[in-house]
Amino acid sequence: MTQEELTALKVNKIVDARGTSCPGPLLAAKKAMGEINSGEILEVLSADEGTKKDIPKWATKKKHEYLGTVEESGFFKIYVKKG
Amino acid sequence: MEENKKMCMVLFSGSIDKLTAAGVLLSGAVADDMDVDIYVLLQGARAFRKDIADDPNKLNMAENVDLKEEFVKSLQNLKVKTWLEFFKEAKSLANVKIHICGLAGKVWGADKLDDFVDIADDIVGIGECITATQESDVHLFI
Repeated sequence: MTQEELTALKVNKIVDARGTSCPGPLLAAKKAMGEINSGEILEVLSADEGTKKDIPKWATKKKHEYLGTVEESGFFKIYVKKG
Repeated sequence: MEENKKMCMVLFSGSIDKLTAAGVLLSGAVADDMDVDIYVLLQGARAFRKDIADDPNKLNMAENVDLKEEFVKSLQNLKVKTWLEFFKEAKSLANVKIHICGLAGKVWGADKLDDFVDIADDIVGIGECITATQESDVHLFI
């Protein structure tokens, strides 16, 4: 998905994990996934550099769909659709 | 339904940095929906004593002792969970069982389950630990 498409997504849940370091964002994503339904979209906010690779790999492994990442000033947003 | 993968962690160390690493690894396993059995041996059992577990001043640092203060302060500044908080959170999210070695407990003057933090599930012998390592998909020794 393009950055514009990602930014325009209607997300079902947003998790702000910017105050945490690894593995905080990953566990926050796991918890949040348990609170949404299949096909719904989760947005994870993080400033932890390792999370950029960690959550996409985790999402794919857990049969979710990693949609993309949008860079913001000092943090980024990761979009995952629940499988 | 597919059965969860199993991790067996043998936690020998009671060093605060290694306990923290164990907590991070445990969190990763939980995020991956693994079932985890943790066997707490010797130095590890001391760290699980309820009067020691949550006090960085009572926990040792096995290597680079002069870096302990910097390490603890840095974790606090980064708002990283303590090793005990990592373990508690992991237990709340997945099937994580914590087994204390009976011999190790006695070495540190703790021979009842009540002597340890409340996340400890039981006191066991080494046979169970060996069986769990044989049956696990991932085996870590820390």
